[in-house]
Amino acid sequence: MSLLEVDGLTVGLERSPHSLLREVGFTVEPGEVMGLVGESGSGKTMASLAIMGLLPSGIEQRGGTVRLEGRDLMDSGTGEIHRTANQMTMIFQDPRSALNPTMRIGRQIARVIETNQNASREKARAAALAALSHVGIPGAKRVFRAYPHQLSGGMCQRVMIAMALACKPRILIADEPTTALDVTIQAQIFDLINDLVQETGCGVLFITHDLGAIAEMCDRVTVLYGGQVMETGSLRGVFTQPLHPYTQFLFDAVEREVDPRVEEKGANFALAGCRFGHRCPYVFEACGQFPPLRTVIEGHRSACFLPEEGRIGAP
Amino acid sequence: MALLEVRGLRKSFGHGRNRVPAVRGVDLEIAPGETLGLVGESGCGKTTLGRVVVGLQAATEGEIIFDGETLDGKLGKPEYRRRVQMVFQHPSQSLNRRMRVATTLSEPLRLLHASAADQVAERVDVVLRLVGLGPDYLRRTPRQLSGGQQQRIAIARALMPEPDLVVLDEPTSSLDQSVRGRIIALLRSIQDERGVAYLFISHDLSTVRKIADRVAVMYLGRIVEEAPTEQVFEDPQHPYTKALLSAVPSMDLDNRGTRIILEGETPSPSALPQGCSFQDRCPLVHTRCRTEQPTLISLPDGRRVECFAVTSPSQAYEVNP
Repeated sequence: MSLLEVDGLTVGLERSPHSLLREVGFTVEPGEVMGLVGESGSGKTMASLAIMGLLPSGIEQRGGTVRLEGRDLMDSGTGEIHRTANQMTMIFQDPRSALNPTMRIGRQIARVIETNQNASREKARAAALAALSHVGIPGAKRVFRAYPHQLSGGMCQRVMIAMALACKPRILIADEPTTALDVTIQAQIFDLINDLVQETGCGVLFITHDLGAIAEMCDRVTVLYGGQVMETGSLRGVFTQPLHPYTQFLFDAVEREVDPRVEEKGANFALAGCRFGHRCPYVFEACGQFPPLRTVIEGHRSACFLPEEGRIGAP
Repeated sequence: MALLEVRGLRKSFGHGRNRVPAVRGVDLEIAPGETLGLVGESGCGKTTLGRVVVGLQAATEGEIIFDGETLDGKLGKPEYRRRVQMVFQHPSQSLNRRMRVATTLSEPLRLLHASAADQVAERVDVVLRLVGLGPDYLRRTPRQLSGGQQQRIAIARALMPEPDLVVLDEPTSSLDQSVRGRIIALLRSIQDERGVAYLFISHDLSTVRKIADRVAVMYLGRIVEEAPTEQVFEDPQHPYTKALLSAVPSMDLDNRGTRIILEGETPSPSALPQGCSFQDRCPLVHTRCRTEQPTLISLPDGRRVECFAVTSPSQAYEVNP
């Protein structure tokens, strides 16, 4: 049994026949960092919001299950999401806008602890201070009394991490946690997340568009495009032997110039078949249908008809 | 001879106690047809430097010499404004939303009184082709273009008056990886064809590596290292450059976890320590660094480095910290 199991997750705009996420599935094991990678608009953030039960209004979940330690998070009777805040927490891309600008840092963290652990005000206060020191903030007492605008972006992200971990979650969802930060600060935050995973054994769903960050942080990786999982497997498997034409394209785009046919076309959510079909250089008849994820090599799955047709995508 | 020469450039904002020095004494040169990459983290002054070079902001101190002539005043002569152009980070914000592509592109020539009306249309056509777009884009407005196409139009607009130097301020940072590669390729082919020089400002080191001939690394308003691109990336000398390069996440799976992690954060430019501004985060810090500001010194291999530990190691280590 996996720690987090997402299966067939389908999400769409109300009153629109097209889905923004189509049968997205992956797992996260305890103590593991699972990378979710894709370009802007690929559905990375939508997937994380759906898992957290935080889908914005106007967007509905149409199918699929999210299981935490085997327990379905959605109540089958009412369609409501179970409260899971103390087991799953999330940190966001822009830490400063995720914090309340009118409240002192210490109070914000303490409130989270009060709400989730029914702790007394004094206990929560002490726990919040401990949480701040825990994430390597120098002068935790000073930061405790500061407002978010008085802190740097890197500090705010540490505060977010402190807040997320104060509840001792089983799963941490990190949505582009360092995109707004400088690289030297990013390295510090990566280090901190790695240490905390080792220490607490929680699982991390690490969302990013940066393949370098994936290589640095993750154990396994899931590639998303147009709301569809393209490929999922071990870090080494996906990086050394990408199976899906989209993954190959993604790596090529970093290294060199790519086939202009694949370029500058956004995802087309109206496609009935493979969402990469209109950009794929190897597209053929079968691609008009939705390609399910299939195991190609042990532990390495790809959503593409090419391997089965014996035409593994090499030019 | 250098196309652009910047000497002792300083730029501060605010007055008295609120004075923030953004650029604190920068010397650099750009040769015709050359690309100088200017890298650094947010708040290091790279954008301010670019804006001063273009003339959008007046320098507090120092000289800008372009093609042998010293620039005076904020905007310089019309000829300077024609020959030095700029491309900004967010094309969606730097393009006028209500202007069609044709108007956006002819505007610079109209403002500079540079061409007769009948030549403008011809030039628009040529430049549009140069950035890889066709005449069917002429009647579009920015919202009918993708991010990559918008940036192509912004580049085309900068190229309209046939500049000799284009300052590119994070031109690819708001674009997806796949589009980024195309824009870099485009900039290179334009340079090959037109011989235009670039000042390429970016915090993204891997992009800079793909386009720059030389790289200058900036930290808190000063250039700490400057050398040909491969030298900087293969054999960085300044401790900040080393840490910066090693902090970039690499796709190389075998070098995982070999990063140099700097302690602490960049100090505020309004409360800089005496001496070297990198001292509090530097693994090589010594007493001298805490009292004396190092200067950019040329090494025998042609690079310039601003660090006592590199340029005069014996003196730097005379006194223990």
